[in-house]
Amino acid sequence: MRRDVFQAIADPTRREIIGMLSQQTLNLNNVADQFKISRPAISKHIKILRECGLITITQKGRERYCRADLTKLKQVADWTAKYQKFWNEKLDALGDFLAKEQENKNQ
Amino acid sequence: MKTEPFVIERTYDAPVNAVWHALTDKKKMKAWYFDVDDFKPEVGFTFHFWGEDKGVKFEHECVVTDAVFERKIAYSWRYLDFPGNSLVSIELFDEGHQTRVKLTHTGLESFPQDNSSFARESFAKGWTYILGTSLKDYLQAA
Repeated sequence: MRRDVFQAIADPTRREIIGMLSQQTLNLNNVADQFKISRPAISKHIKILRECGLITITQKGRERYCRADLTKLKQVADWTAKYQKFWNEKLDALGDFLAKEQENKNQ
Repeated sequence: MKTEPFVIERTYDAPVNAVWHALTDKKKMKAWYFDVDDFKPEVGFTFHFWGEDKGVKFEHECVVTDAVFERKIAYSWRYLDFPGNSLVSIELFDEGHQTRVKLTHTGLESFPQDNSSFARESFAKGWTYILGTSLKDYLQAA
């Protein structure tokens, strides 16, 4: 199965995990504690995220720490941002158009 | 593979009827959206428009998949020369003098990401052109 960053962000829980880890490095338990879903389910998401290259895991003593790989994240952010920007601007333009139209109507 | 869609919501100070026409009337669409070859809010209606990236034009092809008067308009969105297909869905919510618009865009991940002639980068530049140059020109001229 192909693993890439876009698959990584396909799932809302994974997106939340990425968001969390882009703020700070956490061990696996800390990550799992933030979610209501089961620990094995979280482990599976972490595994996919690692396979997609979005997070790295480092073993420190008995703890395994997860860290987001921001280079890969940027790839996602760029792609997402383009569409966000695109639709934001289009909807702004729609707003301007409607405002102008309403104005003309009221004159 | 499915990614979560983009969802954007806006509320406009305009009645739902005005928003509906801005979204579905070819002449009004040209003013803020794209110069589509034609448009009818009817399921199965196919329309086209061009986007450009540094002299390279991308022809978009869209097919209306859902049309409910003053409620919803949805169409597929793809590039004629490239594989992949996405779906744009626009829902309207009548809130009296205001109208809430909810736009959802799914399936973007189906567009080629490894194909060098349609690399993500050049694709992105295409959008940048539309937004940064042509749209801006229109808004400033208006």
